[in-house]
Amino acid sequence: MAGKNTAGKQALNEKTDIKTPVSEMIRKFKKQKNAVVALFFILFLVVIAFVGEYLVPFGINEYDYNSILQGPSAAHWFGTDEFGRDLFSRIVCGTRISLAVGLSAVSVGAVCGTILGLLAGYYRGIVDSIVMRICDTLFAFPGIILAIAIVAILGSGMGNVVIAVAVFSTPTFARLVRGRTMALKNSVFVQAARNLGASDARILFYHILPGAVPEIIVQFTMSVGTSILTASSLSFLGMGAQPPTPEWGLLLSNGRNYMLTSLHATLFPGLAIFLTVLSFNILGDGLRDALDPKLSD
Amino acid sequence: MLRYSIKRILGVIPTLIIVVTFVFFFVRLIPGDPARLVAGEQATLQDVEAVREQLGLNKPIYVQYGRYVLGLLQGDLGMSLRTKRPVLTEVSARYWNTMALTLASLAWSTVIGIFLGVWSGKNRGKWQDFTGMTLAVSGISLPNFWVGFLLIMLFAVKLRWLPTTGAGSWKNLVLPSITLGAHIAAIIARFSRSSIIEVFKEDYIRTARAKGLKERTVTWGHAFRNSMISVVTVVGLQFGFLLGGSVVTEAVFAYPGLGSLLIESVNYRDYPAIQSLILIFSLQFIIINLIVDLLYAVLNPEIKLS
Repeated sequence: MAGKNTAGKQALNEKTDIKTPVSEMIRKFKKQKNAVVALFFILFLVVIAFVGEYLVPFGINEYDYNSILQGPSAAHWFGTDEFGRDLFSRIVCGTRISLAVGLSAVSVGAVCGTILGLLAGYYRGIVDSIVMRICDTLFAFPGIILAIAIVAILGSGMGNVVIAVAVFSTPTFARLVRGRTMALKNSVFVQAARNLGASDARILFYHILPGAVPEIIVQFTMSVGTSILTASSLSFLGMGAQPPTPEWGLLLSNGRNYMLTSLHATLFPGLAIFLTVLSFNILGDGLRDALDPKLSD
Repeated sequence: MLRYSIKRILGVIPTLIIVVTFVFFFVRLIPGDPARLVAGEQATLQDVEAVREQLGLNKPIYVQYGRYVLGLLQGDLGMSLRTKRPVLTEVSARYWNTMALTLASLAWSTVIGIFLGVWSGKNRGKWQDFTGMTLAVSGISLPNFWVGFLLIMLFAVKLRWLPTTGAGSWKNLVLPSITLGAHIAAIIARFSRSSIIEVFKEDYIRTARAKGLKERTVTWGHAFRNSMISVVTVVGLQFGFLLGGSVVTEAVFAYPGLGSLLIESVNYRDYPAIQSLILIFSLQFIIINLIVDLLYAVLNPEIKLS
């Protein structure tokens, strides 16, 4: 009986010790202290994005004409804007917008790019030529120019900024997944699945896609930072969020009109963008190093 | 090498055709009647029809496309709705301002980026590496419009060393080029670090050290030169991104370049100008990528031989 128990425990241990690409990545990731801190900071931002509006001391559109453009104080930690609105409350509530734009745009780009990459890498031939030609064309525009072109067609607004950023992040994912698909397509386990009669869809999504997941996660994290920067740049240029939305790029753009007398109005929104993008980039670096230590060299 | 160059140059043609086609359909993708958009909301029906006739929008789409391509080949980028002058005139007036800004940014960011990268890579795992790479990841994460404002506050408003806006003198280039180049310097630093670390693993570096050469000679005489082959590619590619990135920087400093022209055109809904500027940015990007590829082939003997 005791022997049976030991054997059972051993079998359990063997089961839990299975090294998948993702579990290996998590194990190596835990060693990257900076990246772990960045991950916790991002989780903190996500919590803020959900509950921030219930915690802030003032409403985002609570005007107070008696305290216009006041510097940081005990009552207004980040000071006030040109309408006397509390900047701390607006920046905290803006977290949801910046994260939502960054995450949703890259998610759309990642899903579209992954599907295109899987199809191109698996079927090759005409499908591959068409997908790669689309990618080459999208790569022929500097990112922000492509985003401006799309916003110029669709009009200003955060929804269109998400579409614009999603479009320019799609080809990166398509190329990445195409490469992995081509490498995995001829592997033994894919051939075995094919011989067992698995459909193309099953092979692509159950056998090949999991092999590309670690690279997709790394690219996803790195792209979120870039997307937040691009989205805030577009809002800054007047093509993204419209007043009175407390989007960080827009807050900064409003603050510049009062820069000479009230530096805090540009300082804090910029700091919020910087810290958020920085944490996504550090997390991305950590995940990349965990995926392949050679890449960090 | 010649075969590679010809193949690479011919490979650009389909991309060029697709880009020109995309830009042609750009105005036609805008919801609504393009002639109405061009004529303005207050225009009468006769005015709209006159614009339609003038722009050739009443002709079949393939005739319009043919005319557009023919016009491009003759240097005709259309008329600006905002200034009522040829777009080419508007562009040429500002082109060199953007080019000067881009080149100035690229020059300082390459020098600083390479130095920071080599310094970090040479001292891998030490405090220098940590400092260098912290600076680099921060540089990549900085919103350049924010950096621009902080620089204006410090150097133009507080210290009064440099002008806040405008163009024409080298002083006007300092703050915008720092703003534009910070991101690129960080990317070049990260890449130079990886590149020099790879080179330090090579046998010829071990040989150089075994010969008793000074560490400085090993780093700059042997490792640096070899690591720069791949760095050249990154620097070249960043040149294209700088041209695009100039849009935000020019807006911050009210710098009269192509980027600010694009923003003005978008705000005015000057579609012929937007169309032409997007085409120009894209063509420059394609041509620079092509030159970088060819330059890489010249520098890298492995490609030359194959």
